[in-house]
Amino acid sequence: MLALDIKNLNKSYPTFQLKDVSFQLGQGYIMGFIGANGAGKTTTIKSMLNMIQPDSGEVHILGRNIAEHETGLKQEIGYALGGFDFYSRSKIKKLTSVVKGFYTNWDDETYYSYLRRFKLDENKKITELSTGMKVKYNLALALSHGSKLIILDEPTSGLDPIARDELLDIFQNLVVDGEISILFSTHITSDLEKCADYITFIDNGQIINSCEKEEFVESYRLLNGAESQLNQVKEQLISYKKNSFGFTGLIHAQDYDPSSDIKAATPSLEEIMIYFAKKESI
Amino acid sequence: MHNLVMKDLKLGVSPLFFFMPLLGALMLVPGWLYFIVILYFCWITVPNMFGGFKAQNDLLFTAMMPVTKRDIVKARVTVVVILELLHMVVAMIFGMISLRLYPGFKYIFFAPHLGFWGLCFVMLGIFNLIFIPMYYKTAYKFGGAMLASVTAAMLFAGIAQWLGIQNSYVYDLFNGAGAENMGLQASILIAGIVIFTIFTMVANQIAVKRFLKVEI
Repeated sequence: MLALDIKNLNKSYPTFQLKDVSFQLGQGYIMGFIGANGAGKTTTIKSMLNMIQPDSGEVHILGRNIAEHETGLKQEIGYALGGFDFYSRSKIKKLTSVVKGFYTNWDDETYYSYLRRFKLDENKKITELSTGMKVKYNLALALSHGSKLIILDEPTSGLDPIARDELLDIFQNLVVDGEISILFSTHITSDLEKCADYITFIDNGQIINSCEKEEFVESYRLLNGAESQLNQVKEQLISYKKNSFGFTGLIHAQDYDPSSDIKAATPSLEEIMIYFAKKESI
Repeated sequence: MHNLVMKDLKLGVSPLFFFMPLLGALMLVPGWLYFIVILYFCWITVPNMFGGFKAQNDLLFTAMMPVTKRDIVKARVTVVVILELLHMVVAMIFGMISLRLYPGFKYIFFAPHLGFWGLCFVMLGIFNLIFIPMYYKTAYKFGGAMLASVTAAMLFAGIAQWLGIQNSYVYDLFNGAGAENMGLQASILIAGIVIFTIFTMVANQIAVKRFLKVEI
């Protein structure tokens, strides 16, 4: 079953537009949702959750349409948008006592086991938690009501490398049983190299590509050549940069001629993002 | 719905605002302009409470819970009404004590008979009718809504009080001979409660319509 199925989501703002956003996430996988700041990640996530009204398009979560089954589905989704910055002078204990009242499947035992696992002290106030601890608290809440789909908007930004690594390990452990799926947006691409199964790349409100991680990077080539060779491929390049040795440019793998003498390498996720961003500025 | 109301009572509304109805003790000031006692709710509790919701990022927190936008509005309106009723009930109790404390007092402004409380209900109804729909245009900006609704409520109170002084019929109804007529007083109170209920329900409906369009 698909944990998430988004079809042709459109939303227009005066200065920005989500254009025909479509992608799918199978149950039990981790999908990284990448894109530069302002590319439309949060807008897509908020449209998925009915927090903003898309102009058109459909969102199915766990096989059901969110527009029709919003409250029922939200019982089964855990999500965190940005940090946990609500009622920050209140204690974890108090917030949890309020939050649990909203969920029919709330399980105290699971909740306390995650608190112990994440070393969260429920007598602490939100404001006393580090950024990483806030993400963990959010996760503990999401997991204690039996979420099948976890949607996290930039959970790793602002975390130190150790906390990030720990969080990614937690993500991987969560999906092992094949029941829970995770969609998380990020602009820190190294996170995805560590733990994502699928990558969805959004740029300027449009999905550029959504597929398996290896397939994603393999669908591009990073070319390195002398300036004199630039003209051979200039038309096909997504974008390029010139330097004193020649040029470096990104190309779709199918546009690259392996018989040419231009050096080609598999790009990193970060390089793909950068060259797509550069395309717009040209 | 119940969980949303509990969220506000436990988290969103500072305990201070549950003590504010004790300002109803101001009813013991003899012959005062008693509309003011109820207006303290609009002047102090409402802006501070809604400022708190904004500062605590309550809108996003609530939107993340498995609830409908319709219920979010309904629950908030319920909380406002609970506080309004608390203010009214406490003030009415002190009003009864006041009437017994100063028998034969010559009131210039409305005396706290039942009919007067009917007028207070209408005043709060007007406040709700303007404040709630205006607030839910954004669900966080409350300044303009406050200004408009407090002005309207005070205008109503001002005009009613002016009539009570200038117009002998109105004077008789609330302070003169009519004050002793329990049936008349109770009817005015009931009429006030009915108007308050209708205005608040209409406010809720308009607010829901507007809030459905708000992007969180």
